[in-house]
Amino acid sequence: MLTMLSFSLSFLFPGDNIINLSGQLNASSSELTQLNHYYQHDNNIIEQYLAYLRHVLQGDLGLSMASQSPISHEIIKLLPATMELSLVALLIAMAIGIPLGFIAAIKHNKTTDNVILAVSMLGYSIPVFWLGLLAILFFSIGLGWLPSAGRISLLFEIEFVTGFQFIDILLSDSPYKWQALNNALAHIILPACVIAVAPTTIFVRLSRAAMIEVLATSYIRAAKSKGLSFSQIIFRHATRNALIKIIRHVGLQFANLITIAMVTEVIFSWPGIGRWLIESIYQRDYTAIQSGLLVLSCFIFIVHILTDFIYAALNPLARGNKYGS
Amino acid sequence: MAREKTYTEEVFPSPFIQLWIIFRRTPVAMLGFGCFIFLVFLAIFSPLLAPYSPVEGNLEMILLPPAWHDNGNVSYLLGTDELGRDMLSRLMYGTSLTFGLSFVVVLISLVVGVVIGSLSALTKGLKSSFLNHFLDVVLSIPSLLLAIIIVAILGPGIANTVWAIVIVLIPQFIHITRYAVKEEFRKDYVLASRLDGASPFRVLYYSVFPNIVERIMSQATLAQSAAILDIATLGFLGLGAQIPLPEWGAILANGVERFYIAPWTVYLPGLAILFAVVATNLVGEGIRHALKVRREN
Amino acid sequence: MVVLLMKTKSTPCFFFGLIITLLSGCSDSDKISLDERSIIYCSEGSPETFNPQLITSGTTIDATSHQLYDRLIAYHGEDNTISPALAKSWHMTRDGKKITFYLRKDVTFHQTDNFTPTRLLNADDVIFSFNRILETTHPYHYVSGGNYPFFQSVEFNSLVESIEKINDHTVRFNLRRSDSSFLANLATDFAVILSAEYGQQLSKLNKPHEIDTLPIGTGPFKLKEYRVGSLIRYYRHEGYWQGKAQIEQLVYDITPSKTSRLTKLLARECDVSSYPIAHQKIRDRKDLQLESMTALNIGYFGFNTKKPPFDNKLVRQAVSLAINRQALIDTVYSSEATLAKSILPESSWAFNEAIPSPEYDLAKAKALLDLAGYPDGFDMDIWAMPVQRSYNPNAVTMAKLIQADLKKLNVNVNITSYEWATFLRRLAMSEHQTFLLGWSADHPDPDNFFTPILSCSATNTGNNRTFWCNAAYDELIQKALQTTNVTKRKAYYKEAMLIVNEEMPLLPIAHSRRYQARGANIIGEILPHFGGINFYSVNKNIPLKTINGKVKATKSLPVEQSN
Repeated sequence: MLTMLSFSLSFLFPGDNIINLSGQLNASSSELTQLNHYYQHDNNIIEQYLAYLRHVLQGDLGLSMASQSPISHEIIKLLPATMELSLVALLIAMAIGIPLGFIAAIKHNKTTDNVILAVSMLGYSIPVFWLGLLAILFFSIGLGWLPSAGRISLLFEIEFVTGFQFIDILLSDSPYKWQALNNALAHIILPACVIAVAPTTIFVRLSRAAMIEVLATSYIRAAKSKGLSFSQIIFRHATRNALIKIIRHVGLQFANLITIAMVTEVIFSWPGIGRWLIESIYQRDYTAIQSGLLVLSCFIFIVHILTDFIYAALNPLARGNKYGS
Repeated sequence: MAREKTYTEEVFPSPFIQLWIIFRRTPVAMLGFGCFIFLVFLAIFSPLLAPYSPVEGNLEMILLPPAWHDNGNVSYLLGTDELGRDMLSRLMYGTSLTFGLSFVVVLISLVVGVVIGSLSALTKGLKSSFLNHFLDVVLSIPSLLLAIIIVAILGPGIANTVWAIVIVLIPQFIHITRYAVKEEFRKDYVLASRLDGASPFRVLYYSVFPNIVERIMSQATLAQSAAILDIATLGFLGLGAQIPLPEWGAILANGVERFYIAPWTVYLPGLAILFAVVATNLVGEGIRHALKVRREN
Repeated sequence: MVVLLMKTKSTPCFFFGLIITLLSGCSDSDKISLDERSIIYCSEGSPETFNPQLITSGTTIDATSHQLYDRLIAYHGEDNTISPALAKSWHMTRDGKKITFYLRKDVTFHQTDNFTPTRLLNADDVIFSFNRILETTHPYHYVSGGNYPFFQSVEFNSLVESIEKINDHTVRFNLRRSDSSFLANLATDFAVILSAEYGQQLSKLNKPHEIDTLPIGTGPFKLKEYRVGSLIRYYRHEGYWQGKAQIEQLVYDITPSKTSRLTKLLARECDVSSYPIAHQKIRDRKDLQLESMTALNIGYFGFNTKKPPFDNKLVRQAVSLAINRQALIDTVYSSEATLAKSILPESSWAFNEAIPSPEYDLAKAKALLDLAGYPDGFDMDIWAMPVQRSYNPNAVTMAKLIQADLKKLNVNVNITSYEWATFLRRLAMSEHQTFLLGWSADHPDPDNFFTPILSCSATNTGNNRTFWCNAAYDELIQKALQTTNVTKRKAYYKEAMLIVNEEMPLLPIAHSRRYQARGANIIGEILPHFGGINFYSVNKNIPLKTINGKVKATKSLPVEQSN
């Protein structure tokens, strides 16, 4: 489905679709014939599509029109950076949003609840690019605490192994390993916090709603009537059930988070796939846009499926009626 | 001659009026509503109200800070940018671009979405299920990402941004309308009027719509705040409104270059966006709150 | 509202920040030592190649020419005299047609992961480097495209008849005619010396293109790593013939966005930044300093004379008349540049006061446009260069101002910009209508303006992006080259400038200074008087000491140096 979309993009973009697919800008006529042959351009559209699919499955996404280097190589370097950033942001968002939401639910309709709700509304109303700029001004330049750009100070030479900065640092045998780790950590904090703001507010609302719902159920009332203490009710019974409800939404939120990350990467010069994609749009590098979107949507899709699995694994109710009713 | 009332008629306000009565009781929502109306007013009348042209600058008044600054000038209340253009005028014109356009965008996608949504609610079978799955896929893609994809295809520009966001928002409206209409159709009063022989379209128009209007409006405020942020973000990334246009996101992007010398060129458009989105969200919250209260009564 | 926001989002940051400070406490000393021995330079763009013979763009020159390579002869700073470099002395016959260079005998090439030199520099390397440009049969001539824009524009191959090896350390250039700018051209950033031995090794391995991507030179630094659009890492060349550089590592942090460069500079993530914006802000900071250098350069607005409507002289003149250049200077250059009268800067000896400056006259412009047959105006594109150069610190803003000016002629302007390499490639392919670009001189000879920017030979290499080719102009600048009589040359160049002002293939806008910002603890000269930057003599002072959150430099330097 996604490959079909990406394939059709090559026709929607201006210019010759074979060039859009392969990214070969200065191909001579003999090379063009060869390309036509590779992509089965003389045959009907379905065969063309299958040829394209074969290329994609072999990891051949064509050449970038701007740099004339294979896109798959570039993406392998960029994707881990985005994954790292968005995962950290997701963790931050969950670590802050969910407890806050629970607190709001427990103090339902009290001042704490209202304050949390008001702040969370501000959080999702704020344009992320603006927030990023303010954060740089305040924390990097004003206070000088945290760096403003990149994943790590360029002085550290970290060999590319997995693409995940932290793992690579641990694997490297640089004498400056621990500093590099500190440095990388300092670099990720600011962008990750900025990205996390909007998802945090959504987690606040989700977890608040889930908790309110759980607190109104009969089993909680039963627990209360049994005389369990408040903390026992919340920690033993309510939290777990509310968490399960939230996990279902993590996948959806992750897609949202990736979009925010794209914009944030631009502001923090984070060498990830979002910044690369937006630069490709500026340069009308159609091959890169097409493959970038394909990879990004596959990534979102995989996370979706993963969270569905986790949800199913954690929640016996979601496994359906296959055990009979 | 006074007409005798044969029956004491109990005045039942329409659902919409009921909603308004509850809505009016929440001061915060009313504040948001006031701001919203103010923005709509600005969006329409900014060309008449703005003191200067948003595009042509006064080169003698470059990078003037806002008036409350020591170096400020009262005739340029919010200062000027690097080409000597008045920030206040640019922000006012920007209201009609960022806020006004997002309003138009929501309106278009609302109409299209509601029509398709209600028609699809009346169909069953293969067509319906295809639509369902298609919507699921589209809705799972974040709106900004989808808008970026569409702009990448159409090319940068404000018109393309508008179309991209319309396309992005339509499925949301289809989804909510379809769901709401289906729900209403299951209710008894619809069954009653259908037994009376009313055609589905008549039922839709006279019975169902008045009852789902406020739910669509609540969705519209959500869509509106998303649309403002999307237009501004695309403008900021240089994919939306192009260079001289005073779109808020584009003004902000333009100011970033001089962030450290002329911070107001970044603060002000950012605040404007925040203000518009918060106002919209407050209205939306107000409607949702009122809906909840009405349902509980 | 802002404060509130800051608070909500700062909670995690405070928390993590705390952890960081705790973690970093233990290993601070090592970090300082690594930091102390390295320099991070925030550069404005990616180099197109690592061989300056192949290009004319300043970004590439900055990254390669003085870091990786040496030339036979060099400019000696202030007084613009030529001084020995790889050639310790030279001799020119009286007719100016035979020039003999005597090479140094102690020059080593870089040793890198893929090349270990077995011998020192000798005459073969010099012959290899120049024959690559001259001879189409040379095995490396067509590697990387076979274009040598600077040398083609000065008609190097018609000038040089042959290069002779007299002995291992003596080389003779035989010229077909005398050329007063020949030595100056050999001292430019482009005339670098490559390694012949490396060339042979690559030929054997059948990887000839690596000569330009994994370069080997004799310069003070060697290339360690290059990631396109991200960074260039150099290590110092331990056996450099002038003594090794003081810093061990030099990193170019490629940051095309000028705001990001300023941010990195203010946050002290880079030590030196190219083309800084917000000069006042930098001057205000005690731990930073701004330096500037008079630069021989020209920023101009060029017309593609091969594309309608700009193939019409009247249209070019009309558009030029409608542009308020003083406003451009005041806004784009913050009044820190001089209005250009012609392509040649006033500081050049060949400049002539009698040349009239292009005027700003809207009525006349309208009349000319009517005459040209465009009474209702037309639509056009301006291609604004995406990087900042001293000759044009902000082409997009300039384009916006020109857009507003031309609106008054009913000319609708559409502004386009691409990433730098793409921009240059598309310009060379003549896809543009008009463009904002400029030129920085590589040496003070006036020919360095006339020939590379506007000559017919430069249209073939794509360096003359106006594609304007005028026989009278070409003849004049040829004549000027063939004589050493300064008065005569001056007269020829005056004629040439008058032709340019009349034909208007480009509208000269400004001559400006080149700016650079650096931390107060960075010492040594980086900006030379001509051409690319040089990090050889740079060192880092004792690190900054942070006292009560305020940064104090241990040694203060003159805040601004200028000539």
